[in-house]
Amino acid sequence: MSKRKTFGQLLREKRIAKKFSLRKFAELVGVSPTYLSQVEQENVMPPTADRVKRMAELLGENPDEWTGLAGRVPGDVPGIIHKQPTEMPKLMREASGLSPKQMQELMDQLRRIKKEGDE
Amino acid sequence: MARRSVALRSEVPYLHEKQIEREADVLLQEFSLKFYAVTVPPVPVDDITELHLQLALEYKDMKALFPFADVHGAIWFERKTVGVDQSLDPKTNPSRLGRYHFTLAHEVGHWRLHREHYKKNPAERRLFDDRTATPDVVCRSSEAKKPVEWQADKFASCLLMPRKLVYAAWSSRLGTDASISIGELRRRYADTLATEPFFYRGQVLTEEEDKDNALKEEQCRPLADLFQVSQEAMRIRLETLKLYVKTKEASLF
Repeated sequence: MSKRKTFGQLLREKRIAKKFSLRKFAELVGVSPTYLSQVEQENVMPPTADRVKRMAELLGENPDEWTGLAGRVPGDVPGIIHKQPTEMPKLMREASGLSPKQMQELMDQLRRIKKEGDE
Repeated sequence: MARRSVALRSEVPYLHEKQIEREADVLLQEFSLKFYAVTVPPVPVDDITELHLQLALEYKDMKALFPFADVHGAIWFERKTVGVDQSLDPKTNPSRLGRYHFTLAHEVGHWRLHREHYKKNPAERRLFDDRTATPDVVCRSSEAKKPVEWQADKFASCLLMPRKLVYAAWSSRLGTDASISIGELRRRYADTLATEPFFYRGQVLTEEEDKDNALKEEQCRPLADLFQVSQEAMRIRLETLKLYVKTKEASLF
């Protein structure tokens, strides 16, 4: 099995694939090239969730997946948990460990329930 | 002065200036065919390095890596990695933009001109004899130029300031293709020259040659800005291209 890529390696690979130079990409994200380079070299912690989201959007990647890769929590998640502080953690614990297929089924179910509730 | 732990063995083969210029032109043509045509300055050396040559660019704290030397750039051939000192980051230090471009182009020069030589002569590679993670070539700004460094400098100059683009910019700025003699420059800046002491970039200049260089660098500032190189680099390129001359040949017309 191949070793899983680190956030820094993945970032550099995708950035080059999308033809952004380090300086250009840093400018678009709103950070200095030195900082971006340190992130790619894994000399510093990955950036904040907002910046990771911006990077993923620029590179056409899934922002939530990238936020997870960066070891961060998407910016809207704490608010969602705080709104339903007992139910949400419970739901997450129940859903934890499901296979991707089971997860998809659960999400389809959730969407259906939501839709019925809206009607 | 700090002791330098440099292990110099032999030298890279001699290259004529014309061979170096040709190699820089070839690289620019390759880039233009694959990405976009470079018809106006500045030459996109970041894109050439990262996108075309696929070299990893890393900003590094060179003072921490090499405390006893004034290092601006370095290259690791096998890792296909170029390192640039973070003090040259143009975002945080806009006045270093020219130096940044030149350092990057200089390392690209090592990649194009010297990597085969070092592949064949691995014993020469580690110019710095300390740890194994050290780069193959370490480029100090203060060092007297060895052939390997001189060649990379020449390459950088040709890559960032291609002959055709410089001629075009010169004639468009000055309204003429004609070169400028040092006598003309001295007349143009007679008032400045008359001031004593003669200051340039915070230094008092007394030597005639230094004063002449200062005049040229003052005169070529718009071109340096256009090509995003230092005024010194621009002045040297203009001298090489004979746009700055000592005396002018008498014209037939």
